[in-house]
Order: sequence, then C-alpha cells, then structure tokens
Amino acid sequence: MPTSQADLLPGTLDLLILKALSLQPQHGWAISERLRQVSRAMLDVPQGSLYPALHRLERRGWIKASWGPSDNNRHAKFYELTRAGRKQLGAEVDAWQKLTTAVSLVLEMQ
Amino acid sequence: MLGRPFSELVHRLRAVVRRDAVERELDAELRFHLEREADKLMRAGVPRADAERRARIALGGVERIKDDDRDARGVAFLDAVRQDLRYAVRTLRLTPGFTLAVIVTLGLGIGATAGIFSVIDRLMFQSPAMMHDPGSVSRAYESFELRGRPVVNGYFEYRRYLDLTRWTSSFSQTAAYADARLAVGVGQDATEMLVSRASASVFSFFDARPALGRFYTPDEDRPPQGSLVAVLSYPYWQSRYGGRSDVLGSRIAIGEGRYTIIGVAPQGFTGMEAGATASTFGGLALIGTQGNAAGDASPVAWIPVTAYAGLRSRTFADNYDWGWLNIVVRRKPGVSPARATADLTTAYRRSWEAERAMEPSLAPLDVSRPRILLAPTPLGRAPNAGVEGRVPFWVGAVALITLIVAAANVAGLMLARAFRRRREIALRLALGVGRMRLANQLLTEGLLLAVAGGLTGLGIGWAVASAFAGLFGASVPLGGGLVGPRTIVFCAAVTLLVGLATGLAPVLFATRGDLAAALKAGAREGTFQRSRARAALVILQGALSTALLVGAGLFVRSFANVRALPLGYDVDHTVVVELNLRGLQLSNAEQKTLMQRLTDRAASMPGVRGATQMVSIPFASFEGTGLSVPGIDSVQRLGPFQLQIVSPGYFRAVGTRVLAGRPIDSTDRYGAPLSIVVSAEMARRLWPGQNALGKCVKVGGSPTTPCSTVVGVAENTITRGISHEAEANYYLAADQMDRPAFGLYVRVVGRGADFVEPVRRQLQALMPGVAYVRVMPFSDMVDGAEQSWQIGATMFSALGILALVLAAIGIYSVIAYNVAQRTHEIGVRIALGARAANLTGLVLRDGLRLGVIGMGIGIVLALVAGRWLSPLLFDVSPRDPAVVFGVAGVLVGVTCLASAIPALRAARVDPNVALRAD
Repeated sequence: MPTSQADLLPGTLDLLILKALSLQPQHGWAISERLRQVSRAMLDVPQGSLYPALHRLERRGWIKASWGPSDNNRHAKFYELTRAGRKQLGAEVDAWQKLTTAVSLVLEMQ
Repeated sequence: MLGRPFSELVHRLRAVVRRDAVERELDAELRFHLEREADKLMRAGVPRADAERRARIALGGVERIKDDDRDARGVAFLDAVRQDLRYAVRTLRLTPGFTLAVIVTLGLGIGATAGIFSVIDRLMFQSPAMMHDPGSVSRAYESFELRGRPVVNGYFEYRRYLDLTRWTSSFSQTAAYADARLAVGVGQDATEMLVSRASASVFSFFDARPALGRFYTPDEDRPPQGSLVAVLSYPYWQSRYGGRSDVLGSRIAIGEGRYTIIGVAPQGFTGMEAGATASTFGGLALIGTQGNAAGDASPVAWIPVTAYAGLRSRTFADNYDWGWLNIVVRRKPGVSPARATADLTTAYRRSWEAERAMEPSLAPLDVSRPRILLAPTPLGRAPNAGVEGRVPFWVGAVALITLIVAAANVAGLMLARAFRRRREIALRLALGVGRMRLANQLLTEGLLLAVAGGLTGLGIGWAVASAFAGLFGASVPLGGGLVGPRTIVFCAAVTLLVGLATGLAPVLFATRGDLAAALKAGAREGTFQRSRARAALVILQGALSTALLVGAGLFVRSFANVRALPLGYDVDHTVVVELNLRGLQLSNAEQKTLMQRLTDRAASMPGVRGATQMVSIPFASFEGTGLSVPGIDSVQRLGPFQLQIVSPGYFRAVGTRVLAGRPIDSTDRYGAPLSIVVSAEMARRLWPGQNALGKCVKVGGSPTTPCSTVVGVAENTITRGISHEAEANYYLAADQMDRPAFGLYVRVVGRGADFVEPVRRQLQALMPGVAYVRVMPFSDMVDGAEQSWQIGATMFSALGILALVLAAIGIYSVIAYNVAQRTHEIGVRIALGARAANLTGLVLRDGLRLGVIGMGIGIVLALVAGRWLSPLLFDVSPRDPAVVFGVAGVLVGVTCLASAIPALRAARVDPNVALRAD
C-alpha cells in the first residue's frame, strides 16, 4: 500500500494519458496499470476518472479509439495518439516544465 | 485548428443519435476493466469473489462513472426532456376533460390571433410574387391640397406617367398598370374577368421567365396605339386552353379589341398585386381591386396599356383627362427613398405646370402644392389607406386581447390542477426530485398542451382568415393561400409564449410552499385557501372582456349611426344596367334608337316604376370640366365638384330628392337654355346664404361659355366614404351635353336584387350581335362606404363575445372549484341550520365579487383606451354611457349566471355525505 500519494493537479491527468499513449496504443486498464507502475506507485490515478478523461480526449480529437482483441483475446477498446494529440502532448509537456521551473524558482527564494 | 470543434461536434452528435451503441460500448469497456483488475488480483492469490469485489471498489461506482460520462457527453438534458415528455403525455391522458378544455381554449385564442395576423401580413407585408428585390420598389401616390386639405390619390394619367419617367433620374425602372374587369371572350363565352393593362416595363420588375412564348416589349407599347398582343396567366392558360402550346398566335377578345396571344406567364406570377394563385374559399370569392363585384384575385391576361387605351381614344396620351393608372418605380441602387421622392416631386411639379398650360383653370402650384409620396408595394401601406387600413390592426389588437383572456383561462385551469396534485408533488419533492427537474416537468406539460393548442389554432386561424377575407370585400384585394410561412412562424412564437406563461403558473405555485403541510393536506381542513392567483386571473379575464365588449358596443353604435345616415339615394330599389357593345360600331342614331327601345322595354316590365338612361358612371366622374362662376375668382379652390350627366327621370329613378326648384327633365333639350342642378352643399359653397335658383354657372371654364342656369337644388349624397364633410355634386342634362347613354337606371317596386335576372333577360333579347348587358343591383356599386364600420362591429362583437364566454367559464370554474373545496364547510353549515338561500347567497356573493371587480377595472381600462379608438368611431363618444352601462349590466348578469350553477349545487349538498367525506 503506498503510504503517501501525490494528488493529481487538475489537468495533469490528460498529460499523463497522452504520454502513456505516445509510446504505444493501449486500452484503459493498461494505461492505469502503466501509470501506477512507472510512477512507482506514487501516483494512484483514481480509476473512476480515467474513463471520462479518455472519452474527453477522444472527443477533442487528440486520441482515437478502436476495438480490437486484447492480449488475452478479449474484446477491448484501444486508444492511440493522433497527430494533433502528439502536438498537444508536446505543448503540455512544455507548459508543465515551465510551471515546475517557475515553482522551483519560487521555492528557492530566500 | 478547425479539427477540434469539428471532432467535438461529431462525437456529440454520435452520442445523441447512437446513444444506445455508445452506452453499450461504455458498459463493455468498464466490464473489461473490472475483469482485468480482478484477474490481476487473482493471479496474486486473492480468491475470485474477493478479487471481483476489490476490483469494483478500486474502480469506484460504475454507475457514477457512467453518469459522469453521460454528463460530459451532454446528453443528460435530452434524456430529461424525453422522460418529461413521456410522463406529461401519460398524465394528460388521465384527465381528458381538462386536456380537451385547455386545447380548445388555446386553439380558439391562438387561432383568432393567427387568422388576423395572416390577413395583416397579406395586406401590409407581402410583396408581389416573384418580384425582384422588392425592397427597392415603391408605389407612387400624388398628393395635393384642395381647399387647404391634402388629397391623396393613387391613380395617374398616362401622360403624367410619361412625364414622371422622362423627367426623373433616380429610377432604373418605372411601370404603369391598371387591373380591371373586362369582357373576355365572345358570344356565349363572354365573361367579365380581371385583366391587367400593363406597360411593357412591368415584366422587367420580376424574376419571371415566360412559360411559353414571350412578353411584349416597349416597342409594342407606344402611344397613340400599342400592338394588340396579350400574355395569358398560367392558370387561365391551363383551364381555358388546356395548356396547349398551339395557343400562341390565336386571338382572344378582350374588351373592345382582339388581341393576339404571344406568351404565357410562369406559374405563380400574379402581376403587381400581391397574392398567390387565385382561389375561392367555400364559394366566397375574394375581391378584385376596383370595387367591382367579386372575382378572381389575379389577372387572366396582360395587355399593353397603350393597346387598350388607344382603342378607347386616339388622344389619351395628349392630355391629362383620364387618371386610371397605378405607377410603380424601382429606385436605382444607392438612391434613398427621400431623394427619389424629391426627384419625383420636382418632376410632378413640372408636369403640373404643363397641365396648367392646357387647362388654365387648374389651381397654381403655390395653392395646390403638389407632390409625390412613395410607399411600399403592399396596398395596405398606402398613405391614403385611411381608416380602412387601420382596421386590421385594431382587430389584431382585439384578437391579442382575446388570446390573453384564453391564456388566463388556461393558466387558471392549470393552477387548479396543480393545487389538486399538491400532495403528489410534495411527495416527489420529499423523495428527492430536484425542484428544477420538477419545474421542467410541469413546464413540459404546459408546453405540450400549448403545442396541441397551437396546431388546433392554426386550423382555426385558416377558417378565421377566410371569414375575415369574405367580410373585408371590396376595400382590399386578398389573394389565395391565406396561411403563409410567416403566419406559421408567428403562430409558433405565440404558442411558445403562451405555453411558457401558462406552464409557469403551476410551476411557481407547486415548487414553493411548505412540504410538510402539503403532504398532510386533506379536505378536512377547517378553512380553505382561496387561491389568490386564480382569483386574480379571473379578475383579469373579466376586465379584459369588459373592455372588449365596450369596444364592441361602441363600434356597433357607430355602425348603426352610419347606417342611419341619409345617403341621398336609394340603393335598395334600383337596378343598374350597363351596355357593353364589344366593339360593335353603331351610328349615333342607331345607338339612340337602341337606348330608347331598351328604356321603353324596361319601363314596361311589371314591377318597374320607371327607367331612365344612364350617361355618367354613377358617382365616379371627376371629368375635369372646369367650372367658373361670375363673382368667384377660383371655383376650383372650393371643389372638388362631382359631375353627373343625367337624363330626365334620373332623380326619381335614383331616389335623390330635389329640395328646391325642379329636376332635369325633358324641357332641357338640345338647343334650349342650358340648365344645371346643384347639390345643396355645392349651393352652400358657391353662394352661401343666398338662393341658388337662377344663378349662373359656366361649364367649360372660359368666360365666353354661355351660362347654365341653376334650375334646381338636390339633396346631398354620400358616395365617397362616410365623413362629416358633405360632397358637392352638380347635374347636367344629357341631351344638352350631347352625350350618349350607355346604360339604364331602373327603379323597381321591391328589392333590386330580385329584378336583376328578369331585367337582364328582357333587355339582352334586344341587344344586337355580340353586345350584351350587364345588370346588377345598385347596392353592388356603392356598398363600400359602410364597410369598415361593419367590419369593426362584427369583429369586435365576435371576439368580445368569445372573450366574455371564456371569462364566464373562468368564473364558473373558480366558483365551482371553491364550492367543491368547501363541501365540508357547507356540510357543517347546513348541519348547524343554514338554509338553502343563505348558501346560495354565499356562493353568489363570492362570484359577484370577482365579477364586479373585474368589470370595474375593465371599464376604467376602456375609458382610458377610448381615446385611441375615437378616430374609428362615428358620432359616438368613446365614453358613451349607454354602452358602458349596458356592458356592465351584461357582465353582472353573466357572472350571476356562471355562479348560479355552483350556487345551486351548494344548496343541495347532503350534510351527511359532506361531513363524512375526506
């Protein structure tokens, strides 16, 4: 059980999903698992908000969905990044880095 | 950039249109997730049931995720609407009486309003069909001052049309036209039909291509005689010629000429007057433009102006004698109406001067101040539409008021219903249905009823418009297809408004208030709540119907006054005969013989008191014969004077009394001293305070003309619309003016209408060749004057009575409801010894109170608004006490009646039943 978990800032869920999908198309559960593993369990994405976020991104055209067989041969909805999504990912990464740099600078002030 | 909103739209649409598929997908996706999570846990050794449970907890509430997703998709709203609709339909079906009452009431109110609106639309807003860029097209009217008052007129002379076209630079197109009923066809087939005599430029105003052949060109339309060619209308081509293409080149008889058909107008083309294709409604034919008898609303053929005019007179374009054409102009792009008007006025003044050069007795420019007025093409917007033009608006306002009364009725009904359902509503609120949701649902009910009422109203509106069109008759031309797209939009808007207004009433009522009290509510309450809202509604209804009825009463009195005016002639006992020679050439002698034979034959018929020859078109000649009177420098200033050229026996035949002296009789022969009979008004204007007999009038304007001596003074006549200013006429002897007669006045015993057919048959037998006689009752020619008052009286009365009936129903339902609510209390009273009379009195007082308050407010309203009504009334003050008291009495009576039934019912309450009931 993770003892301390970081709360997600609003809007960062989108960024995480886009990044996760930038490597390969996945279905919703896989995304959630992946994020948990990679962040060393410090990020527990509330699974309930994952799907509305995925659908929102799909509506905006940054990811697109298709149904296909999963690795255990069951029918699943796979998401992958579109070109617009890739651009959006780049933009959001930039924004995130700017934000964190700014915050760090403020925290270092005497 | 564009991709994102587009993608959103596509997905949202899919969410709506294929919502089941979307829901299933979401469900599958979430189930897959749960399976995988459970699998993962099981592989770590957790037993299956546990694993599934923990997976579900980890995911969170599946239903909540689905809801969130649905919200994000934005379909929640639509879902709610669908549910509300289904529920509303179910609930309404449970109370068919209420539902029907509401729909019918709304239907009547909306229908009356929509019907009137469609008439107003046609009168005021519709441009002629297929017209190109109607916004730049205007009609011209001339305005000049006569005796200090402006006269507006829409008919111009051909020469004036040429002048205005030549001497202005603001217009890309000008056209002149005149629609009238002419004899079309030959022999047995001859019928009078609407024909448009139109300048060639008329066709260029429209985006219309001929369906067959071609339109005529300006080369074929030049004075002094245009080519005898004709363009048929599409419906006439279909009905009369079977739509055959070999119709081109054949000839058609119109009026006095034979015209070669060179083309057919496209379907839907009706010329310069607005309207769809002609049609009749249930036998009531809609009326054409020149005050003639009923007929089609669009012309059957177009012929060049100069072709028709040239046949009648070789010199029609040389003088300013004959004013018969409407002028329509199209402004060049960028020219404002003000500039165009100024341009036209300048040209008109120049033309006026040119006319003065020919006719020196015409008033000079500084006296008459002639100018041109431009108005939009719909005839209802004419500057001289006068009172007739305003009547539709008044009727529209009245219809709106009736609609408000109807809506108030419905709101009251819905309030009562909401009150009855208050326990159910309180329960639902207590169970957690949001107030907004509940309000939406009640509103949906209201809107659903309103839509049903609106559709009913559309049907009723169609009927109302037809009835109104039939009433309106000669003053205004109306085409077929009375319910147009604008009317439907208007109807929809009104329906929406009414639906919101009446739906809100129960909403406001039901979602406020104490839940607990409502839940516990039952009939066994000590007192009952008088619904203030319902009482207010009923009072509103009472007030509005009172105001309407006062208006109706005033109009009815005006109409009665108008009818009582002495017209100065007798329309009921006279028949008018018009000869139509159809181009047959008769010498003067032959014509005189024919007229004499016709007169003798008519006079010898049983039931005929006398027959006299008709020389002037009755009441329709301003023949421009200048008058001069020694001692008066400008007779024109005192005009206008209407001329009637009459035969001996005229005054007796037409019923105009001679007040002094003698009428024109057989002593006024050719060569005898010239005689003239003047009307009393003319005598008053020319020789105030003096005896007119023996005075000299020179007819012809120049000082060398011999005197016509005044031999008689006739009573005044009213021929040009009711007004307080009398008309001045004078009468000359036909023999002395050497004018041929073209018809007869036949005075009969009994109703003129009964003699039309017998006279026609007798006289037609004497007519040579293709000539024929047209016979009609005199009343047909001169009925227009009373019409606007008749219409006002009828419409106000009909709608006022409707409003009163609705208000009565409103009062009845409130009182009845109150009585039902108080059954328990009444039972107690009876048990304690109250008598039937007491109870009846109790209930009646209840009702009377509502009625009297409403009536009081209504009368105040009527008195205040009366100011605006007074220009439409005739000899009636808007505060006429007889009308006001009469209406007050009616309303009190109706209120008593409406309360009587529940009162009687109260008296018959069985205390045993009432006390035990809940």
